Amino acid sequence: MTARLDIEDHLLDEALAWQQSLESDDADWDGYVQWLEADPRHREAFDSVALVNAVVEEHAPAVGDLLAAQPTVDIPRTSRPRRWVAGGAIAAALALVVAIPVLWQADPVTTYRSDPGKSRDFALANGTNVTLSPSSAMVVTGKDAAKIELASGEAYFDVRHDPARTLTVTVNGYQVTDIGTRFIVNAGGGGFHVGVSEGTVSVVAPQSGQAVQIGAGQQMFGDDGGATVAPITPDDVGSWRSGRLSYSDAPLPLVAADIARYSGKAVIVDPSLEKSHFSGILVIGDGTRLLTDLATVMAIRISPEKGGYRLSAARAH
Amino acid sequence: MSPDNESGLEALYGIYRAELLRFLVARTGDASEAEDLLQELWLRARQQNTGPIGNGRAYLYRMAQNLVVDRLREKQRRMVRERRWTDQETDFAAAGVEPADRRRTTEEQMLAREEVATLVSAVTNLPAGARKAFELHKLQGLSHAEVAAELGISKSGVEKHMAVAMKYLRRALLD
Repeated sequence: MTARLDIEDHLLDEALAWQQSLESDDADWDGYVQWLEADPRHREAFDSVALVNAVVEEHAPAVGDLLAAQPTVDIPRTSRPRRWVAGGAIAAALALVVAIPVLWQADPVTTYRSDPGKSRDFALANGTNVTLSPSSAMVVTGKDAAKIELASGEAYFDVRHDPARTLTVTVNGYQVTDIGTRFIVNAGGGGFHVGVSEGTVSVVAPQSGQAVQIGAGQQMFGDDGGATVAPITPDDVGSWRSGRLSYSDAPLPLVAADIARYSGKAVIVDPSLEKSHFSGILVIGDGTRLLTDLATVMAIRISPEKGGYRLSAARAH
Repeated sequence: MSPDNESGLEALYGIYRAELLRFLVARTGDASEAEDLLQELWLRARQQNTGPIGNGRAYLYRMAQNLVVDRLREKQRRMVRERRWTDQETDFAAAGVEPADRRRTTEEQMLAREEVATLVSAVTNLPAGARKAFELHKLQGLSHAEVAAELGISKSGVEKHMAVAMKYLRRALLD
């Protein structure tokens, strides 16, 4: 939150009193303005209280539902179990860069992040192994990791076959469901990419709502406009785990987003190149050569731009 | 909805403009932001097709107050996002490479989920009285008087419970 934590208690009390009294129809706005003018700290205290109030009001329905879903047994405060539990806590401890504190009774929500330059392996509660590619983030909901959302970057999934349950991964509105397979999903460029090396996944695109089966040796790219299916060499799926970025007819914005993650520099794709595709292999190394390698292979231009680089079509000679 | 009512709010704005500006300056501590908010208030007052307004002055103050809080909330969200994404990660929301709306939606869903989780956890750790008062007032929408009747305590008792609850939640959200 923007407000400081160290606001004096009596100022907070005054702010809370005003917050409450302003809710009534005959609120004393003149008195309130005078209170604000009397001391700049009053404004700070009120900001802080107003912000908490706004967050509470915004989430009241969701919070109410979750609280209602909990067992109502009154556990004495002294014997209350640990307050925070990292959801799906497994051998994942190492991979757990940020665990969102979650109430023990409620569906745990855990955010997994990987650092720049390092991929992370972890096991989810349902027997799924995930490798998160560098600078990526994933949100997992539920004790059995029933809902997974790839928020940024790329992840490789190795899902144990278990007909009793399915796993769903959401990526920028696309839903990937599978029963036992190996595949990657990528959220780069705000789009969607799935590549399958083993088994079959079912993908529901946000535009159509129709399920499409993507089998081993197939991939799908999606964006706002729709999705396309293309072949891919199964060995190339998740090849970043062995130091290479392999692309087969991949949209350039997705390639650029990958390179940005590996290089730590923003990569802007000029509108002139937005519809371009790239096929080829880039060696990751320390990430610094990826962009020049790409530009060389594609014969396109790199120009420095604030915080990173811009890719644009080479000037005509 | 008669034209009288529509111009009503705008006319009221004309009457109270000076004191609304004074309020916004006091509220934001920033004269130019206050002017900016006043402009926005005027635009909204013009657009709004309100029915008859009982207390137009209070209505305008409340509108102004809401605009300030909306901006605060937006600013806080932006700060959380920036802290999350631009420091250590190489995502580049600001550069505008990715379709900003969709990307932002995903992030905001994550933030919202985290906020909900924090709130739920904080509420369950409240002292019993504060929790009950908070749930009745903020989650079920009962007035302070109704909460007081429901819990069989005084109105000032409810206010004390609410203060405990809000301060506790503030700490949880800020940490």
